[in-house]
Amino acid sequence: MIYADKSTGVIVQGATGNQGSFHIGRMNQYAESVGGCGVVAGVTPGKGGQESGGVPVYNSVREAVDAHDATASVMFVPGVAAGDSIMEAADAGLELVIAITEHIPVHDVMKACAYAQMRDCTVIGPNCPGLLCPGEISMGIMPSHLYTRGPVGVISRSGTLTYEVVHELSRAGIGQSSVVGIGGDPVIGQTFADVLDRFSEDPQTKAVVLLGELGGNLEEEGARMADLPVVVFIAGTTAPPEKRMGHAGAIVSGGEGDAKSKIQRLKSLGIPVASRLSEIPGLIKEMV
Amino acid sequence: MKLLEYEAKEILKESGIPVPKGILIRAGDDARTGAAQIGELVVVKAQVDVGGRGKAGGIQMADSATVQEVADRLFGSRIKEVPVHAVLVEERIAIEHEYYLSISIDRSSGSPLILFTSSGGVEIEEVARTNPTAIRRAVVHSLLTDVPGYTLRYLLNGAPKELGPVINKLYQVFRSRDGLLAEINPLVTTPSGVYAADAKIIIDDNALPRQGISENRDLTDRERKAEEFGFSFVELDGSIGVIGNGAGLTMATVDLITVLGGRPANFLDVGGGADRVRVAHAVRLLGSMPGVSVIIVNLLGGITRCDEVAAGIIEAGVSQQVIVRLAGTNEEEGRTMLNKYGYRMLDTMEEAVAAAVEVAR
Repeated sequence: MIYADKSTGVIVQGATGNQGSFHIGRMNQYAESVGGCGVVAGVTPGKGGQESGGVPVYNSVREAVDAHDATASVMFVPGVAAGDSIMEAADAGLELVIAITEHIPVHDVMKACAYAQMRDCTVIGPNCPGLLCPGEISMGIMPSHLYTRGPVGVISRSGTLTYEVVHELSRAGIGQSSVVGIGGDPVIGQTFADVLDRFSEDPQTKAVVLLGELGGNLEEEGARMADLPVVVFIAGTTAPPEKRMGHAGAIVSGGEGDAKSKIQRLKSLGIPVASRLSEIPGLIKEMV
Repeated sequence: MKLLEYEAKEILKESGIPVPKGILIRAGDDARTGAAQIGELVVVKAQVDVGGRGKAGGIQMADSATVQEVADRLFGSRIKEVPVHAVLVEERIAIEHEYYLSISIDRSSGSPLILFTSSGGVEIEEVARTNPTAIRRAVVHSLLTDVPGYTLRYLLNGAPKELGPVINKLYQVFRSRDGLLAEINPLVTTPSGVYAADAKIIIDDNALPRQGISENRDLTDRERKAEEFGFSFVELDGSIGVIGNGAGLTMATVDLITVLGGRPANFLDVGGGADRVRVAHAVRLLGSMPGVSVIIVNLLGGITRCDEVAAGIIEAGVSQQVIVRLAGTNEEEGRTMLNKYGYRMLDTMEEAVAAAVEVAR
């Protein structure tokens, strides 16, 4: 497993909303089924003293970590407040923040990720489904019943695409070591390359599936450096071209970023690219 | 959301970046009186959001005698299919040299990226292709409120020092206005100083409310309607309607239809936590598209609850065949409900897409 395990104490920021309370319950169901620590506390400013999903709620991350043994956070705080919450978690000494929230202004993400990095706090997301290490821990919103324990790591920019591939892998009898949703936003904390680094130090992981999308070139940056065998899938080959962003987009990317040229460049690096999702289990089976 | 040139220039002016003296003229306004405040020789610039505007005839020279006629001609025309509702009448400036300056977001480092070159102007993308080293690039740490002096010196690479403050001011505009892009092309030197001769600003859609913008102009009516329901929607030209949850899975579904020889009619991501009302709206929207002969609903529940989805499909009750693939939270409840109403439910995405392609044939 990578980033977290059974012994990781988790707090949930944005604990009292519908999503927060619903997913505290589900994460703790999972923790109970594997004998893990799970979510120990929630944080919602102004709601201190309440309970949500069966755990006590505090006004600040600082208060929550003073009262409980926690090193990581899962965050459901809504968009414009989310950047602030990432920094709050980093300041309170948490080592890992998983930001589920979507629609965070990108300038807030840039600042929060830069700040967290200076505080040695790892950020996964935003706009991601979280992390699930089968048999160890669920941090986020992934449907855990699709997952089975095994040797394959999965890194993905898209939530539901992740579930689809995990489902296919499990049906083919291939279990997963850790599944990490890194998020679909233009700026994210952990990238493909960062997660691949973690996987390369994880004895359980023998091969990795990279699920990418059109836009940017983080897939190539990751796959190029990977120590482990990887299989890549890129969604969006039939998508209409991304909206052009002035001249800067064309100058920066030089036409990079659309799914087809991305696939071509990966193939030219000798990296196996699945042209449909159902090919992934067959390709990965040869590697593990 | 993209700002038009005159809006971007207002912002630059407020931040202390000089722009040519100008006045916005709308159709029906008296251009001559307006232009009289600007000067004898003017430039008339169509306020439309299209690339290559000048080459397409959207920028015209005029003087006080011809300005009305030139403006009226632009109002009656379309620049690359876009109708002209307003023109910016500006003083003509004596350009000595054209520079290019932009600030955007570098995905790799997650930081603002500044591009600067002394070879600015209309051929900038050609410069990028043929002489990329002429363009200086610098990433600025996201927590810095000013561009450091050494970065300015690197970017300018011998260009006039007076351009340094412009770079720094544009950086502050980019930060304070939640920019995805802030671009000045060309940034010009003249005998009377430095000017932003053209400007482009794109604001992050996720930050529009705090920027005081209540409506995103970039959306079409149908897209706006889709956004109200909480999903993202792109129309394509095929016959197979597609509803998915999550951009990645929805894109992969559209891709697979193409791989298996079908033609997708659209991309519709109902979003996370889609409830029955949103799903019903989505199915009805596709059902109302004339070219759609079959609809595939491919949903994997994370936040999304399958029983809610099933209820939405049943509620919509469209005439086209609906092929459903559901997996995830409350899956069995969803399956039972759909079976009761005779909907075709398949186990895998590939089976469901293949079935839809078959029906569309």
